[in-house]
Amino acid sequence: MSADNTKKGFSRRKFLQRGAIVLGGTVVASYLGCSPMRRFTAQKAESMDLPAMMSSLQPDFWFEVLPDNTIALKSPKIEIGQGVFTGLAMLAAEELDVPYEQIKVEHAITTSGLYDEMNTGGSNSTSSLYESIREVAATMREMLKEAAGKKWGVKASEIKTENGTLISGNNKITYAEITKENKKWDIPKTPELRPKSAFKVVGKAVKRTDLKTKVMGTAKYTLDSELPDMLYAVLLQSPYLDGTIKTLDTKEAEKSAGVVKVVRDGELVAVVAKTFYAADSAFKKINVEWNTPNKVQQADLIKLVTVGNGKEVNIQKEGNAKSIIEDNKATVFRQEYRTPMAAHAQMEVNAAIAHVEADKAVIIAGTQGPKIVIDTVSKALDIAKDRVEVHTPYVGGGFGRKAVKGLYVEAALISKAVGKPIKLYNSRQQEFQNSLYRPNTHHVLQAKIAQNGEIEAITHDQSTPDMLKNLMGTDLPNKILGADFISAGHGASFMYHFKNKSVSVWNAEVPIPIGIWRGVGMFPNTFAVESFMNELAHQTQKDPIAFRIGLLQNDDKISVRGKKVLEALIEKSGWKTPKAEGIGRGIAIGNDRKSIAAAAIELAIIEGKIVIKKVTQVLDCGISINPEGIKQQIEGATMMGIGAALYEEVTVKDGQIEQAYFSQYPMVTLADVPEIQCFILEGDDVPYGVGEPPLAPIAPAIAGAVLDLTGKAVRSLPIRLS
Amino acid sequence: MKIDFTINGKPTSVDVDPAMPLLWVVRDELKLTATKFGCGMAMCGACTLHIDGEATRSCSVPVESIAGKNITTLEGLSESNEKLHPIQQAWIEEQVPQCGYCQSGFMMAAAKLLKENPNPTETDIANSITNICRCGTQPRIIKAIKRASEISNQKI
Repeated sequence: MSADNTKKGFSRRKFLQRGAIVLGGTVVASYLGCSPMRRFTAQKAESMDLPAMMSSLQPDFWFEVLPDNTIALKSPKIEIGQGVFTGLAMLAAEELDVPYEQIKVEHAITTSGLYDEMNTGGSNSTSSLYESIREVAATMREMLKEAAGKKWGVKASEIKTENGTLISGNNKITYAEITKENKKWDIPKTPELRPKSAFKVVGKAVKRTDLKTKVMGTAKYTLDSELPDMLYAVLLQSPYLDGTIKTLDTKEAEKSAGVVKVVRDGELVAVVAKTFYAADSAFKKINVEWNTPNKVQQADLIKLVTVGNGKEVNIQKEGNAKSIIEDNKATVFRQEYRTPMAAHAQMEVNAAIAHVEADKAVIIAGTQGPKIVIDTVSKALDIAKDRVEVHTPYVGGGFGRKAVKGLYVEAALISKAVGKPIKLYNSRQQEFQNSLYRPNTHHVLQAKIAQNGEIEAITHDQSTPDMLKNLMGTDLPNKILGADFISAGHGASFMYHFKNKSVSVWNAEVPIPIGIWRGVGMFPNTFAVESFMNELAHQTQKDPIAFRIGLLQNDDKISVRGKKVLEALIEKSGWKTPKAEGIGRGIAIGNDRKSIAAAAIELAIIEGKIVIKKVTQVLDCGISINPEGIKQQIEGATMMGIGAALYEEVTVKDGQIEQAYFSQYPMVTLADVPEIQCFILEGDDVPYGVGEPPLAPIAPAIAGAVLDLTGKAVRSLPIRLS
Repeated sequence: MKIDFTINGKPTSVDVDPAMPLLWVVRDELKLTATKFGCGMAMCGACTLHIDGEATRSCSVPVESIAGKNITTLEGLSESNEKLHPIQQAWIEEQVPQCGYCQSGFMMAAAKLLKENPNPTETDIANSITNICRCGTQPRIIKAIKRASEISNQKI
């Protein structure tokens, strides 16, 4: 099958090579992404979005018709709770003419299925496969029609497909039956995809395909998985940043009941036992003292992450904002904002099961990045990449934490040392103290307000540590880009039309491991930029929504969509209705990965505590695939945003992360649930990301409501009313 | 030590260290994995199950203390895979789970609440269930508990 370059636009240039379709037990057609780096670069430049980069070491497959006429779909994307399995099943059903529930989605095993070289993250799981999955599905449907046509002596074009059945006049045969009968498969040219107007399931609110298994408790996560003859391991990890073993005594642990071995290989120390309880009991008998070379304090961290330190990279410039601000130093409106470090605190701790034999490793790990598992495990064991087989069960929450640095490398090394499969997982304390944290940030915003109240010039300088280094394991992006504006700096730019505007990211270096967190750059940047916008509106006595709409009057797509989102927010939130006594109202908007999310919040302050009463979210994510799934994501992002705004903070003291337990890291509970209304707009004809965008406006909308209620601006998180 | 108890209606016997937390007995010895490990310190509620009808965080209960008692885990909450407990029906109707990991603990805590208080208000729900969910399913959990209350009341 040749590449089809006739369709318009980069993402529609398709690249069918070998076979992603299995019929009658044989791989008959494959589907790979085009040159991954080229596509990566092009899309990156276009949208700062991460595309899917398909990769596999063996013949790949996505679809297989099973004997019971269900269709197996091996997902190259990981189900971390975001509902990607459901979205992909719906997309496939659209071209396959089967009910979406008949498509059984599971994760691809890396040695036999197609997996994504990019991590599952960045809110692009469903949207990045929007066309490719339908193209493979449509191709398979045509192949089934061809086969039935040959059987009946009719043209494929005269055959209808319905409910997993091929029909021509009185002839009827199921997909499974023709798959069993037919031996020779021809691969047709990629069929034209059905237009949106013909969609039968995409766009309908449907139930998740993983709902029942999760409600019955039968969904298997890494901790629930097993291999025959498996042992359990507990890994010694330093509670101090960069801590190394000073003295170690494992004598008592070795004698403990059920212990098979205490593995010691340099800094790698693990107790291996017949049960987790035995391993954990023995682990508690280890005596260890730590070298603690890293003495970093919270104050050091604040100082390091400050605008003016490190390298400055300008990422947005129109007019001459900087010189206007400089020339009017005495009169510019200037504010500083700070956001803290945060933890992922996903409910399922990092875990891995490893079975290492001579030159082969099987890894079961709930990971957002199978490729990273393959790369790091093959390197650690010095075996070929195609000898590492990764199985991904359901993942009990990721939020970025399961992108990198799981326990798979350690699990593999321990398995190798004991010659048996082992299961390894973190304690909650280890999960908190041996993590990768959302970095703290500092923002300086300045505006020159003209006599008439117009904003003549505006600047945003933000300082953030570089997280690409930790994510990609190399300093290269930093060297090329100068600063991490792709992830940590994401969302720093102004979406508004100011004649003179300038945005710079200052690259900070911190002695703390930092990493991706749901909406990592968007969260702090939107807090700073949108809080400043609320303050500017307050300062110039303008309505904060009208103020923003006034700055979105151009006819580019983002302005047009942004304006519509805000207009919808006015109507849906009852923005213009009188406020009840003691209620503050605030709003914020963010433009993230081409999705636009805006929130209006009503809150009260009761006994010195902020109580969120009502949240109205409007999200324009282009085409919506499963509106119910989108609502789940908006609600989830809202709750996580409320927690991040009001409670969450990771701090460091004497080189140690201070939060080790849930009791030290408060998060939202059922008591924090406000009335939440979600509205979805379809402002474009392709789907965009959903998981992260609605999180961004929550914190600044809360801050805006506090400003509205008290007249006092909030400039750092978590919000503490003095 | 040999300890006898009943789990999901089935008389059961285990021979383990009496100090072993019930959570690990249930998960690793009896292979009932719906009950999850979240923190090991009774702070998050992922390991909630019923001991003689009481919602209990099993990570902090030594197995010796449950000798002779009745344990129910999520696997034993419904009569069958078709005949679901009102809590599970409501969880499906309201489409609560995202990653799903904490839901077993929430459902067990909610089932106990409904038994005690067939018509809980939002305040009752928030006061009695302090489990943690990171995906942010809390709004739907509240809706589902209220829906389950309706389903239960219709049945009576």
